[in-house]
Amino acid sequence: MADAPDPAGLPNPEPRRFRVDFGLVFIAALSIASGIAVWVTEGPARFFELLWGDSVMIASLLPKIFGGILLAIALAMVLPREKVLRLVGPDSGLRGLVIASGAGAVVPGGPQVTYPLAMGLMRAGADAGAGTAMVSGWVLLGVNRVLIWELSFLPGWLVALRLLLSVWVPVAIGSLARVWARHAPGSDRDPEGRR
Amino acid sequence: MNVIIGTAMIWAAALAVLRHVWRMDRTKLPAIWQAARATFLVMLPRTVIGLSGASFMATLLPRDQMSALFGAEQGLAGILLACLVGALTPGGPMVAFALCATALKAGAGTGALIGYLTAWSIVSLTRTLGHEIAYMGNWFLARRLLLSAPFPVMVGLLAHSFENLWP
Repeated sequence: MADAPDPAGLPNPEPRRFRVDFGLVFIAALSIASGIAVWVTEGPARFFELLWGDSVMIASLLPKIFGGILLAIALAMVLPREKVLRLVGPDSGLRGLVIASGAGAVVPGGPQVTYPLAMGLMRAGADAGAGTAMVSGWVLLGVNRVLIWELSFLPGWLVALRLLLSVWVPVAIGSLARVWARHAPGSDRDPEGRR
Repeated sequence: MNVIIGTAMIWAAALAVLRHVWRMDRTKLPAIWQAARATFLVMLPRTVIGLSGASFMATLLPRDQMSALFGAEQGLAGILLACLVGALTPGGPMVAFALCATALKAGAGTGALIGYLTAWSIVSLTRTLGHEIAYMGNWFLARRLLLSAPFPVMVGLLAHSFENLWP
């Protein structure tokens, strides 16, 4: 197995402190720049109106986000590692990528469901290829979004054609991610230790 | 209301799994709590900053001009342009699908429409900046976006040739 089981069952037992990395600097720079642009082009009133709206939305999301993280971390401890490795581990082959893409497509709910599930599965032994296939399956083929949103705005033939032509894409992206992770093992983990 | 239902469902799932842990080996619970708290604290600044930035960007982008861009070019150029606009469309599904519906009425090609939808689905700035980078980390997101880049154009071209086969 390419992935050695973690004896404690938890990839990151030590508490992580607040840290600054490239991703945080990048989104902060982007947010500050667009915030300044809104202030300049639309005025301070609009700026504060947006900021207030965001604060309310973020505050309402926080319990959901914390629940999702709790789910991801507890799930990683409960899921049988050998089974996860066999189904969607680094050596699960094309079948593993198809399973991961399909799971991503059928799991209902938004980002607070799919990302914690992908995170939990990856902590339990799924590889970067399967994780990427799952996220790609969700964003490209997600049944939930198609039924609730896409079909209420767009004609059925267009939606059907898009799904038909995209059905292979999550597996393809997953295979590429798997090859990437295999040839650049360092990139498989970011500084947080998340894969 | 949706937020409450979603939150309740996620917590129900989390508590069910935690109950399972409680029965199997309750000594693991403090470690789970600690790891969850630490992960949450790492995610919090990223989520707050990312979501605020995404909403500023959503305000700045000119939607009318964006939907006009769809029909501006034909063939490969049109598909490439639509994919670019799709990748840059922030906001939730309501924004992107409404924009797409407008472009469809304005006579945009099938290849451009499907290229747009595919690119938006893959990138969706609000989702990636506000959620994915916080949950999955920089590397996961960077690798996924980089590897996904050619696919919207490919799917758009497939749709375009499909349209020519069955007009």
